[in-house]
Amino acid sequence: MAVNILIVDDSGVMRSMIQKSVQMSGLQIGEIHQAANGREGLDALDQHWIDLVITDINMPVMTGEEMIGQMHERPDLKTIPTIVVSTEGSQTRIERLKRKGLKFIHKPFTPEKIRDTVKDVLGSEVFNEPNA
Amino acid sequence: MNPMLNHKLVEVTADTLEKLAFIFTFPAEEAPVIDEQSQEIVRVDFSGPFGGGMELSLPSSALGELAVNMLGAEEGEDLSPEQQRDALKELINVVCGNLLPILAGHAEEFNLRPPYLACSGSQAWNDPAAVGYLILENGVCRVRMRLDRSPEQCLPGLGPTDGPLSN
Repeated sequence: MAVNILIVDDSGVMRSMIQKSVQMSGLQIGEIHQAANGREGLDALDQHWIDLVITDINMPVMTGEEMIGQMHERPDLKTIPTIVVSTEGSQTRIERLKRKGLKFIHKPFTPEKIRDTVKDVLGSEVFNEPNA
Repeated sequence: MNPMLNHKLVEVTADTLEKLAFIFTFPAEEAPVIDEQSQEIVRVDFSGPFGGGMELSLPSSALGELAVNMLGAEEGEDLSPEQQRDALKELINVVCGNLLPILAGHAEEFNLRPPYLACSGSQAWNDPAAVGYLILENGVCRVRMRLDRSPEQCLPGLGPTDGPLSN
């Protein structure tokens, strides 16, 4: 099974860093879509089949937390596995996100951290053998 | 300016440059002379238990290396000025996001606004709460922090002779 991924971050450089890390991870990737804020992220979710969302929190127009809130109000989106990649240091906010079933990766991250977290969320079966 | 605040500012900036962009630095003992015209300046504002902002200034000549390293691009690969400035914005975003919980504690919630490129000479930065300098291979990185109130009001536990803040 190839996984379709949506990466949401207002920094194009960070989106590229995450995309490169995912591509290096051995994950069987279908399509990768990008969005620069939560609003664009929701639009992408309406337009494409997405299996995994990787999102920042602090973004203009609509934050990642707001986007996740709206995803959780929609039956068709609320079960999509979501990983938050952020500089967020507040344990209060991180715990609030984790209670919603989200995984959290702190910036700066290593490619291994991205791989291990994606594997934790989606399982080893969607990874190619050498990295599984 | 509070020496411990300066110390934490320098420490987190150096650590982020190393982890995010593989750029190694040395803290400067004294304020070096900086040619403002050759520096690229980026700022980010934040709000929360206290408000303020951070400013990071890098030599324009270092932006290419910063972006190439962050993106894992091939050596000699040309990245656009937009990508280089985007890398600088992300750098200060990560520095600020990592510094605030160290200063204020991990229970506090801050909101960071989008980083923006700036010109030197803003009055708000004439009297920063903290400033630090890092020596790079090709110049100097200056990082400054301003707070809406005095450091002692924002960070009651911060004393001039205190040890490092808990991490």
